[in-house]
Amino acid sequence: MMLARVADSLYWIGRYIERAEHRCRLSDVMLTSTLDQNDAAVAVARRAAHAIDEAQVATDQVSAQDIAHRLVLDDDDRGSVVTALSRARENARQVRDQITSETWERLNMLYLRVTSPSAERALSRGAASFLHGIIADLHLFKGAVDATMSHGQGWRFLLLGVYLERAQLIARLLKVCFGDVAGRALLEDHATQIAVLRMACALEPYLRVYTAEVRPRYLLEFLLFDEEFPRSVRFSTQRMEDHLTGLAGPGGAPGRSRPARLAARLSARLEFADMDEIFAPSALLSSVAEECASIHDAIYETFVSYPLEQRLPA
Amino acid sequence: MFTAQGAPRAHYAALHARMLSLSPAELADRQRTLEQFFLLQGITFTVYGAGDATEQIIPTDLFPRIIPASEWTRIEGGLTQRLRALNAFLADIYSDQKILSDGVVPRDLVLGAPSYRREMHGVFVPHASYVNVSGADLIRGEDGTFFVLEDNLRVPSGVSYMLANRDAAKRTFPGTFRSSGVQPVERYPDLLLATLKSLAPEWRPDPQVVVLTPGVYNSAYYEHAYLARLMGAHLVEGRDLVVHDNIVHMRTTEGLQRVDVIYRRVDDDFIDPLSFRRDSGLGAAGLFNSYRAGNVVIANAPGTGIADDKAVYAYVPDIIRYYLDEDAILPNVKTYLCREPAQLDYVLANLDTLVVKAVGASGGYGMLIGPHASVAERETFAAQLRADPNNYIAQPTIQLSTAPCLVDGQIEPRHVDLRPFVLSGQKITVVPGALTRVALRRGSLVVNSSQGGGSKDTWVLTKRGSAP
Repeated sequence: MMLARVADSLYWIGRYIERAEHRCRLSDVMLTSTLDQNDAAVAVARRAAHAIDEAQVATDQVSAQDIAHRLVLDDDDRGSVVTALSRARENARQVRDQITSETWERLNMLYLRVTSPSAERALSRGAASFLHGIIADLHLFKGAVDATMSHGQGWRFLLLGVYLERAQLIARLLKVCFGDVAGRALLEDHATQIAVLRMACALEPYLRVYTAEVRPRYLLEFLLFDEEFPRSVRFSTQRMEDHLTGLAGPGGAPGRSRPARLAARLSARLEFADMDEIFAPSALLSSVAEECASIHDAIYETFVSYPLEQRLPA
Repeated sequence: MFTAQGAPRAHYAALHARMLSLSPAELADRQRTLEQFFLLQGITFTVYGAGDATEQIIPTDLFPRIIPASEWTRIEGGLTQRLRALNAFLADIYSDQKILSDGVVPRDLVLGAPSYRREMHGVFVPHASYVNVSGADLIRGEDGTFFVLEDNLRVPSGVSYMLANRDAAKRTFPGTFRSSGVQPVERYPDLLLATLKSLAPEWRPDPQVVVLTPGVYNSAYYEHAYLARLMGAHLVEGRDLVVHDNIVHMRTTEGLQRVDVIYRRVDDDFIDPLSFRRDSGLGAAGLFNSYRAGNVVIANAPGTGIADDKAVYAYVPDIIRYYLDEDAILPNVKTYLCREPAQLDYVLANLDTLVVKAVGASGGYGMLIGPHASVAERETFAAQLRADPNNYIAQPTIQLSTAPCLVDGQIEPRHVDLRPFVLSGQKITVVPGALTRVALRRGSLVVNSSQGGGSKDTWVLTKRGSAP
């Protein structure tokens, strides 16, 4: 049993953490692609940046460095790494009594690192190592979550946030690549395919399954349906389902709660989908995003902002 | 730390030797490690200033302050005595008011004070223990006697710094710590939990204890979260609580759960908009009614502020004699009540040597330190005094004792006070340790953290450790 407000904060810590990590990786791949003078990959990265933040300009007028700066350090921006980590920490501060010191210290350290006055310099002088450092610290944070927090309700809410955000982000990235003709055209280039896999942190696991033979179709299949890769949409929804099933519903009511049913439905859909039947991945990707939004709403209705009159003791 | 002859006092000998053996660079290095430790843990308080709020670590000094067992025994006895008397005073004030009828404390002084809560009349308070957590401010005078400066019976804070300072001191001076024989303070959270649980009625065998905080923007938020975490209690805000049928519940992911004991870190005024301040969003509507009905316990009880009112303070020795028939073990600081015309005249004539405080204010605000004030400041204050004498008391300026501190790389003396914490439920427990607050500005006598104060660890020695 935990306070509804606490569950809410933990869930958002998970979401913000995942958001920060994705943005770091996106910036990193974009900057490396500029070095390689791979224009198609840079274009995909620009489109992906635009997809997660409308304010980002998708045209060539803004340099990749500026976009990366906005993605990482802009503190007015609703979604930069700095804001995501600041909010994750603010949420953690509000539930400081519910998370372990090890977890808190990791997050606090990350926050101090990205908000320090030297962050600007570190990003412009050595973006790769700066971003790599943040990603590594985020992994340490998640490790501390797994290794030091009890695997009970709080942990489940935090991971629920991580996986829901991840499913949405990967679906959005795939939509950029497969949603329209322009995206599919960009993806014909081999180096761009590699770049997209790296944006999803999927390159090495992909190579093990499909070898270095990269095809857009395999890429889509891997990131959407792979059962074992922790960043595929299917894997993420499967975890969401597990965590939601593990959370006791209101008053210990029997059967699955509504969010658990929605997650199970989405996860079954991805599990039994057939690659050959997907003529328009765009529709499937959109419905993944919509389903995730409904699951988010259902989590709120069930666990956080439920109407009081239904829950008063008899 | 030193005797009048300049030799280190016996119980400081080991630390003194260690201090001399460290180079300035080593000291600075340890200070940095210490600050880093606080920053990483997020042990910060929020300072509200011009427009924005900033998080700061509370300045923490490297060197512990040491109190030998004999001095501590006296402090412990004195604080226990004082709290017994003040709890009896509160029980009396909120029932028969015998002490007022007997004329020991003036009736208008008590009933006219803003901290007096008429609503508390006749309310059952478990074990007649109104003040469950207190943190008196003690000062050590020139002759080594400890005086009580303030009783702090409302929602005293600082205990988390006591615990964090101890954690840090063990890392900074491990050897000296081990050899000194220091009494542990680490049990504070479980003692607090036991105290809170002892307040719950017997028919609630496994009481749900929660800590009520004003929220993350409160300057002592770190402490609220820290205590909740170490007690394993839920940290709730007003918006998490729902009162239904005179029973307090909290909103959990599994529905509403009953709450039995609320350790509140919210002032009286804000706990219930229906009973106290109507504009408060920090408490829960209906909480006080539930309390009156005996369905929930609020600790500290509302209305304890009347017993630490700065004017009532002057009567505490009489209060102790009245209820316990004993003399106060820890003396008060001489206090002039400006409401008495003769004493007001004395205060006005001696403004340059006195400290004048507003009765209702705390945290080092609304006071005049005579010797440090300019003539103009004294004149303005004198006018205020004449206009509203009831609102002021005055005390002689006491030279607080000093302790060595590391300031800008130099070891220098700074003024300190002492805040030990006392728990009272079924029984009274004084935790063997304290928060020592330090006035970090040279010559300053103000130790409040909002006004440039810092803190240091306080080692209370065991009998064995105190032997020379």
